[in-house]
Amino acid sequence: MSFVKKCLVPRLIQYFLVTFLGLTTAFFLPRFLPLDPVEQRIAQYQAFGVYIPPEQLEEIMNTLRQLYGLQGTLWEQYGIFWRRLFMGDFGPSLARYPTPVIQLIVQSIPWTIGLLLLTTLFAWVVAILMGGVAGYFRNRWTEILDGIVMVMRPIPYYIMALLCLIVFAYIFPIFPLSGGVGIGREVSFGFDTIVSIVKHGALPALTLLVVGIAWQFQSMKLIVQGVRSESYVWYARAGGVRERKIIFHYVIRNAMLPMITQLGLQLGTIFSGALVTEMVFAYPGVGWILYDAVMKGDYNLIMGIMCISVVAVTTSILFLDLVYPIFDPRVRYR
Amino acid sequence: MTATEELLQIERVTKVFTVGSFFFKTRINAVENVSFGIKPAEIFTLAGESGCGKSTIAKIILGFEEKTAGEIVFENESIAHWREKRQLFIQKVQAVFQNPFESFNPLCAVDDIFFETVYNFHLVQNEKEAIPFIDERLKAVGLSFSEIHSRYPSELSGGQLQRASIARALLTNPSLLVADEPVSMVDASLRMSIVNLFARLREEMNLSVLYITHDLATAYYVSDRIAVMFRGNIVEMGPVEEVLLNPRHPYTQLLRDSIPEANPHRKWKGSVRVANVEEEEYLQKGCKFAGRCSLAEERCRVDFPQETLVDGVLVRCHRYN
Repeated sequence: MSFVKKCLVPRLIQYFLVTFLGLTTAFFLPRFLPLDPVEQRIAQYQAFGVYIPPEQLEEIMNTLRQLYGLQGTLWEQYGIFWRRLFMGDFGPSLARYPTPVIQLIVQSIPWTIGLLLLTTLFAWVVAILMGGVAGYFRNRWTEILDGIVMVMRPIPYYIMALLCLIVFAYIFPIFPLSGGVGIGREVSFGFDTIVSIVKHGALPALTLLVVGIAWQFQSMKLIVQGVRSESYVWYARAGGVRERKIIFHYVIRNAMLPMITQLGLQLGTIFSGALVTEMVFAYPGVGWILYDAVMKGDYNLIMGIMCISVVAVTTSILFLDLVYPIFDPRVRYR
Repeated sequence: MTATEELLQIERVTKVFTVGSFFFKTRINAVENVSFGIKPAEIFTLAGESGCGKSTIAKIILGFEEKTAGEIVFENESIAHWREKRQLFIQKVQAVFQNPFESFNPLCAVDDIFFETVYNFHLVQNEKEAIPFIDERLKAVGLSFSEIHSRYPSELSGGQLQRASIARALLTNPSLLVADEPVSMVDASLRMSIVNLFARLREEMNLSVLYITHDLATAYYVSDRIAVMFRGNIVEMGPVEEVLLNPRHPYTQLLRDSIPEANPHRKWKGSVRVANVEEEEYLQKGCKFAGRCSLAEERCRVDFPQETLVDGVLVRCHRYN
């Protein structure tokens, strides 16, 4: 009972409050952009060479406003936003009218989640194992490993991604240059399709893994080195506790705590996509459509992606808060 | 040397540390030719300021640190032989550390390591036997099993934790307890209970204690013999009354005079020369204390003083040569 009262209820209140504020920001922020989607659309027409007489311009603009749901005051729009949100509707995309925003997101989110969830989890596990070993044992091999990571880590991500692209897709064309699946291929669950998806995803995944492993390896290694020389490790050793138990129960376990926090926060950010990766590899994920939406002033799409991202981050933090006591008895509620 | 009398014999142990960066390496003798012995059921104090090498000696005895030269004999066997039967050595030589809050894994219940110890050394067969066994040792330090059972270190007080860490060390029935500053992090009002505990365990279990401290008051109260260390050397060693009531070495005199009295009307007088950089003092030729000593003469800065026996006390000072 005291768990619900002391832990769950305050956490939930906090969760809903933060989510509410985040969603409100997601609504207002695109509207403060110096881009007007109506003007963008008209500029688009004019770029095609369409002549619009000035007396008709006003009329067209009004029609577009109505079409986009941008008429009325900001507060009226805000009210409509909440009403729609509870039905899972973010309205139509303005740049790709009349496709609903939710449909665009649903199309691209599996790509992003597939790529980022797998690489994030895999990088986390590998980094913890490697960092744990490298932090606990100091010998020639771990020094070499450490040296390699030290060289890799400061390389800017986009440069490494481009390098990978040039080497593995252009000079040695092992992997395709761009896209999420072969052009013109129906996305289905056939064997060929899966091979194609894996082939297209390999390079983005590789670059994400290298970066993810490198920095988490370094943090895990430093944490383990700190824990290794803690007094309780020496006391356990002086007390004759076996080395295996010391490594897993004393060092790795204690060093895992900050890494668990890190993983939880990372998982929340997955839903906003990996912008640079998706740009470099032309990968059809959320980051890509978000970039597109920002460039075109597509209010509804920006808002939709932000809303999902806000909910994902706050939910993963709530989840983290609730499961953390399993790992750390000091924050356990009794 | 009579080999049978001493439980632990340290003979001319030296530990050299290399400090500094790649090009400017300096070798520092953190422990230099230190010899002393601990008899069965004796409380032996190793005293001195921080950075004098007393904890390094503890680490060498416990096997956490390699000695550079010298010999350590425990129960008439060289420590090199003990290395092959490390588990047996640990069973006989246990340790208590300075900070009780850091002696236990914060993520494990305190009784965890108690069970780990009793099963590791095959002291009991199952949990049914383990609990009374652990409880008995906890009772010896004034705790009980129910007080620590599935409690985490953050839920116990410093005094409780330090007594628990001593009880844990006693599980294996050791003959020597290496206590590295066991009371310096414990509340002042609880210090005496820990120190008294050592005295009682010595009586009841024939336990020898290597009591490492900078607190001369508790050292005087509890120990039989004392060795005062300064910058890697033992400067004075002998029976505790003789050394502390009648200090011969200027450093011991300074230490003794630095014990504050609980008397606000008695002002602390006398000027003390502040210590040089630790490294400088270690590298100093001649007597390492010469830079701070008010009685230093020319030869103190040139010649390293030899040990002299004065009324049963070993002193390393030119004034007694």
